[in-house]
Amino acid sequence: MVNKPQKTKLSSVISLSHSESTRIFEKKSDLEVWSAFDKGDEMAFNYIYRGFTPIMFSFGIQITNNVDLVKDCIQNIFIDLRRKRGALSEVISIKSYLLKILQRELFRSIKKESIHSIQNIELPESAFLIEVSHETKVIQLESETEINTQLKMALNQLTARQRQAIVLLYEEGMSYREIAEVLEFNEVKSARKLVYRAIESLKQILKN
Amino acid sequence: MKFKDYDIEHFLTDEFFIQWVKNPDENTRHFWEKWISEHPEKRKVVQQAASVIKSIKSDQNKGISDFMYVDIFENIIKAEEKKGLQDHSPDESNPWFSLFTIRKIAATVFLGFCLWISYDVMLKGVEIQTEIPDTLIVSKSNPAGSKSIITLADGTKIYLNAASKISYPKVFDETQRSVKLEGEAYFEVAKDGRPFTVSVGDNAIKVLGTSFNVKQRGTKGLSVALVEGKVKVNDRLGNQVLLDPNEMLVIEEKGEFYKSGFDQLEIIGWKDMYLTFNKDSFEETKAKLENWYGVEIEVKGKISNKWVYSGKYKEESLENVLRGISHTSGLRYNIKGKKVIITKP
Repeated sequence: MVNKPQKTKLSSVISLSHSESTRIFEKKSDLEVWSAFDKGDEMAFNYIYRGFTPIMFSFGIQITNNVDLVKDCIQNIFIDLRRKRGALSEVISIKSYLLKILQRELFRSIKKESIHSIQNIELPESAFLIEVSHETKVIQLESETEINTQLKMALNQLTARQRQAIVLLYEEGMSYREIAEVLEFNEVKSARKLVYRAIESLKQILKN
Repeated sequence: MKFKDYDIEHFLTDEFFIQWVKNPDENTRHFWEKWISEHPEKRKVVQQAASVIKSIKSDQNKGISDFMYVDIFENIIKAEEKKGLQDHSPDESNPWFSLFTIRKIAATVFLGFCLWISYDVMLKGVEIQTEIPDTLIVSKSNPAGSKSIITLADGTKIYLNAASKISYPKVFDETQRSVKLEGEAYFEVAKDGRPFTVSVGDNAIKVLGTSFNVKQRGTKGLSVALVEGKVKVNDRLGNQVLLDPNEMLVIEEKGEFYKSGFDQLEIIGWKDMYLTFNKDSFEETKAKLENWYGVEIEVKGKISNKWVYSGKYKEESLENVLRGISHTSGLRYNIKGKKVIITKP
């Protein structure tokens, strides 16, 4: 059965890099995507769920090891957001907004579960621990491994908040503005300062 | 501070620099590449800073599992369903209102689910097939020279051509039906709400309830001919093509693809035992015969590359087909069991 169709180039072929909803929303600003979601657009919800649930999970799991708690919080956040559609406020960066409310929700749940009445919950000591991995190089010089180990130790002596900011900055590629939102700082300046101070304390190791 | 006075800590706290390292775009790339070429003495420190940024990772590398990802999504939708029912339970003054709302919610849920499924299949395309647990897989294969018809538990009928193999789970998943094909088969997919996916090499063909023919071409190519219904084909490069009845999609080995009409007898006649040749070259004719009758053909003498043959046979013996071919083409044949020798006098 050898087929001999005419080799006409096809105009009806839809070339999709990801999917229909990605195609619709990927070029749009977060503001537009969020507003579509607010108006009840299911494609927009799909795009948001698909795009941000994985990072919400990996962010949440760095705050608490309790997988079920993280799962419940993500779930509740989306249920709540969907209920409030039509009355949602503007969101400039969906990623930092979702991480902010996830952190709040996690703190609230931890507080509820805790026997002691804690006034303000801070990040646990073990939150946002950092790994310094070899990049993609095949051969790793011994001296570099040594520096990485030192760097890792130094990073993990920073405060949990500083590490959180560094993870968001380097791993997530977030801007200071977004980091400030997640950390609930009123000013972007505060996020910058937090990072500057952290890097300053690593300077000695880095300059070796 | 000017960039030229930058030291490692400055690069490490510069958003624009981090952006270039993490997600370079035209803007950042242009700027930093130019900058480095103008400040070669800074090259080393730039590299060092970039390496630090890239090497810092969170210690927790636990990602969300596929199961949890789907579970959360379903729970979100379910929660809405429940709330909808509570909100508009019997005390609602207008009974039509509640009925309408419940319907609307059901429609939304269903739409969401469809989007989710199609999104998932589109995005994952191929990977989704690998989720079938190996232990429950049934495989049927035909050697050259024999064909078979398989009926699956869901009522789907598969005509499996010679030299082809099909694998499917003994029990289909609750949300999808997936089979894997090597070679050629004609599918009459039973409608039952779950999408039916045929994966062939790196390509995935997704349908609901339709009749179509799938043929593998080489290791990476494929042709899909649709008789009725609708078919969606996703190739390994992320392209998606929709087919209407009487359309055929051909994906060539190199990934190039095109759509055309097709002759039903030529393309799917095989399932009704029609062996057809349509201006086939000698190579094509030879391959068809070998496949159809499970024989090996040896050629003696040189056959012109302008040689073509057209013809149609229904349930004919090899001898009769060879006789037919020799009549019009001047070739001689000699059948010795499973071996055929064709000579060009």
